[in-house]
Amino acid sequence: MQLNKKLFKNINIYIPITMILLIIIGMFAISSAVEINRVDSNGSIYLKKQIIAAILGIIAAIFIQFFDYRIFKEYYQLIFGSMVIILFMTHLYGSNIGGGRRWIDIGFINFQPSEVSKIVLVLVLATILDRKDELDSLKDMILPFVYFLIPFVLIILENDLGTALVLLVILIAMLYVAGFNKKFLYGFFGGGFLTVITLISSHIFFNTPLPFLKEYQLNRLIAFINPNIDPQGIGYNIIQSKIAIGSGRLTGKGLFEGTQNQLNFLPEKHTDFIFSVLGEEFGFIGVLIVITLFIILFWQLFNIALEAKDRYGKLVVTGIIAMFFFHVVENIGMTMGLMPITGIPLPFISYGGTSLVTSITAIGIVLNINIRKKKLHF
Amino acid sequence: MEDRIKIFKIILLIIFAVLILRSFQLQVIKGDYFYKLSEGNRTSFRPISAPRGKIIDRDGEILVSNKLSHDLYLLPNEISPEIEIETLIENIANLTSLKYENLLENYEFSKDNINNRNGLILKRNIDKENMVILLENSEELPGVLVRESSVRDYVYSETASHIIGYVGEISKKELEKYSTQGISSYHVQDMIGKSGLEKEYESYLKGVNGIRQIEVNNLGEKVKELGSKAPVPGNDLILNIELDFQRKTEKILNRHIERLIKEAEDDPERYPPTGGSAVVMNPNNGKVLAMASYPDFDLSTFTSGLSEKDYQGLTANPLKPMLDRNTMAAVPPGSLFKLVTGTAGIKFLNINAETEFEDENGLFYVPQWSRPFRNWHPGGEGVLDFTKAIARSNNIIFYKLGYRLYEKYRGEKLVQTALNYGLGSKTNIDLPEEKAGEVPVAPINENKGVWNPGDSVNLSIGQGGLLTTPLQLVNYISAIANKGTLYRPYLVDKIVNADGEIVYHQQPKVLKELDYNEELFNILHEGMEEVTMSSYGTARSTFRDFPISVAGKTGTAQSGTTDVSHGWFGGFAPSEEPQIAVLIFIENGSSSSYALPIGGDIIKEYFNVEKDSKVENGEENTAEGENTDTVVDNNSSDLEKLDKYISEVFSSN
Repeated sequence: MQLNKKLFKNINIYIPITMILLIIIGMFAISSAVEINRVDSNGSIYLKKQIIAAILGIIAAIFIQFFDYRIFKEYYQLIFGSMVIILFMTHLYGSNIGGGRRWIDIGFINFQPSEVSKIVLVLVLATILDRKDELDSLKDMILPFVYFLIPFVLIILENDLGTALVLLVILIAMLYVAGFNKKFLYGFFGGGFLTVITLISSHIFFNTPLPFLKEYQLNRLIAFINPNIDPQGIGYNIIQSKIAIGSGRLTGKGLFEGTQNQLNFLPEKHTDFIFSVLGEEFGFIGVLIVITLFIILFWQLFNIALEAKDRYGKLVVTGIIAMFFFHVVENIGMTMGLMPITGIPLPFISYGGTSLVTSITAIGIVLNINIRKKKLHF
Repeated sequence: MEDRIKIFKIILLIIFAVLILRSFQLQVIKGDYFYKLSEGNRTSFRPISAPRGKIIDRDGEILVSNKLSHDLYLLPNEISPEIEIETLIENIANLTSLKYENLLENYEFSKDNINNRNGLILKRNIDKENMVILLENSEELPGVLVRESSVRDYVYSETASHIIGYVGEISKKELEKYSTQGISSYHVQDMIGKSGLEKEYESYLKGVNGIRQIEVNNLGEKVKELGSKAPVPGNDLILNIELDFQRKTEKILNRHIERLIKEAEDDPERYPPTGGSAVVMNPNNGKVLAMASYPDFDLSTFTSGLSEKDYQGLTANPLKPMLDRNTMAAVPPGSLFKLVTGTAGIKFLNINAETEFEDENGLFYVPQWSRPFRNWHPGGEGVLDFTKAIARSNNIIFYKLGYRLYEKYRGEKLVQTALNYGLGSKTNIDLPEEKAGEVPVAPINENKGVWNPGDSVNLSIGQGGLLTTPLQLVNYISAIANKGTLYRPYLVDKIVNADGEIVYHQQPKVLKELDYNEELFNILHEGMEEVTMSSYGTARSTFRDFPISVAGKTGTAQSGTTDVSHGWFGGFAPSEEPQIAVLIFIENGSSSSYALPIGGDIIKEYFNVEKDSKVENGEENTAEGENTDTVVDNNSSDLEKLDKYISEVFSSN
């Protein structure tokens, strides 16, 4: 457990900087969303919790630097096994907050195991896909698919469709970058997509049973396709979020000045719809800054993926990019009516302890790969 | 592999470009449109009023809920300037059974106060027939609108009316009060709790109004609904009171007092009572089980908006039906106070149950003062032990105790004991208004005047500036019943939200643990049992052959303002293991003997014992006067003169 100081010569400083900027912007938005400026608000507790989570995440990210990232490769079965057990435990004993058993109470904090499972899947898939260069046949697909399917099903059972979709995107991106035969990939996932469409349409038109998808999740899909179908009900969130963002115009209404936000027209505004608060109060300029920060972050993450010294490192970074990518696109997209609503947070910005710790840790893993990109010369 | 990472990178950049374009489209291209929507230039926020919380008894019986009503609105900004509003109101009055003066009065009243676009209420809670007429003629009545709302629905509108209280339109003052407190959820024409539990628990009962956000065109017409926030219903109050017992308690009180009033009409020697109250409490935790005040009033008269005339009728009534005697009548307790004097005597003068006193001739002389204080029973009762003195409510013996306390401690110990039992201070029951009453505190606070031996003597039988509420007294009786704990009386046990979750659970609250030993309370209990169950007790007429063991104390008190006395009975049952403490008050009821059968009937009702005819007959006997403990001769004006004289004598020394 030694850390050579020379390793830090390689560090990509843009990544921690953009990350911290995003976290700070998030804290402003959270403060506004929980109405911290109001006398009778107990909003400061949210801010405190978020700050603690950020500090915990940064400690975890620094701690990771002491190990070579390939250690995850050696213990992947242990990591995967623990994750499956914890997900099972959550399913059996977890606490029920907002429609699904997603939380596990470990004495002093509640945490959401499904958040952690995303990184575990990245590490495990990278290990498996690291072994082969040529991936052409159905046989090569089986093992990664099994490792994907176990957490996927467990998380679907928790009613957490959003996170399950993140896992799917991670799988597709990693299989693709690992070099799977394109035709095969298109066939497999294209076929899967068509199956889902067929199932849903037949449910709507012929009322056939629909596995895995709850009624409210289907409603979100319908609302996405036509939000005005039921503005009080299922289309409400989308319409209100669009009004919030649009009404921010070029420069925004100013911090704490968003009427959609402060009048509580926005749903889940400190977590899933935090971007709407940003859009309303900071306008197009604010949105542009946040998206640009994300682009810089992704750009640097791609650089690290390209520079990583081994295939395993490249795959891990790819998986993490895919994870963040889906979170950011899905979350921002849904607030602007481009994507259906699923309850997944905007990394670094949404309120949520587990999500923030996990995201910072993921960056820690990337930096670990980054600082060890070339052989050291003594 | 690198190639594919690069392709991934390009895909990602393209998608981010789409996000940027989309936000450009929403915020810059369509920004003004959304801005107007959000700012309300093209949106209208219409409140959806939240249903007010229900009031429920401890077994889940509903006392108060809500029902649908229809309010008549006028929208002045939809009325063209050519139409005179007075003419419009006249048209409404001509079509319907609504009165023109009444509508005009409401219009004049609210037109200056209201500046919102929601319109002003001409009449609340109009009936179905009028509503149909108005809807049918809506074309001739521009700017006149009937809207649905809800009003309080009382299962029994005259039950527990003082406790429940009424709701009414928020006043300007209340609006200002809320806005200075930073509470912005109230608007003109909102209904708000005005008295009783409705007022005390307003913040729980109110709920949170919903809002409907509507896109409107430049004429204010609805284009489409953009969204709505459902109202959050108010929380329900669950009382300690049981509806059935409350109703029976009220019935018993009303029946007896109405009988007394009627008897007084026929008998020129008697005075009709001007009111009364009965309260039943669990002495072991302070839960109020029933609380009645006579006369009561009809809560439903408030639901359609009280007219000036109705209000005048209620407030001008000399019997003051709106006044809750239990909390708002601060009157002398008379002989009920003797248990305080007794407590001080046992504690500070080493009196015990067997200590003997002598009442030679029914007179007590304060040294250096020639006029005697008298007993209610003339001629002297001879030698009495202490508990018998309580049972007989013998004034002479309590004068003596008061004077001995004065000799040793001036007035300090007696006054302190009264304060210990919570007399002269609010009980903090969960009602918005309560009188504190008064214990004359001159001996412990020299700034409050001079204390003389006559003051101690007078106070020892519950007279002389002492003012208490029936609720304080039932609390004091409870503290004696449970041997030393003064609880805060409370009406609301739990508050539950619309999902049935408990949001507030009131635990019994101890106001004071009294520093008296058990022996002291045993002596008081013994005396109070002799009051009810001995052959010589002042409450024997009702309780001697009673199916339940009751311990109690009677009282007849000079009211100070009139020649008529207040009648009191306070007690607890069963005397060995008290489950209830009861207090009966008859305002200007002449004698405690009239309070006894009320107490008796309520206790029997609580324990569900069949009425037996003997006790019914007993009622008739009580009027004989032998067991009334009135301070005969010393009427109030004399007493005042006496007090004044004594104080002059002593201050000149």
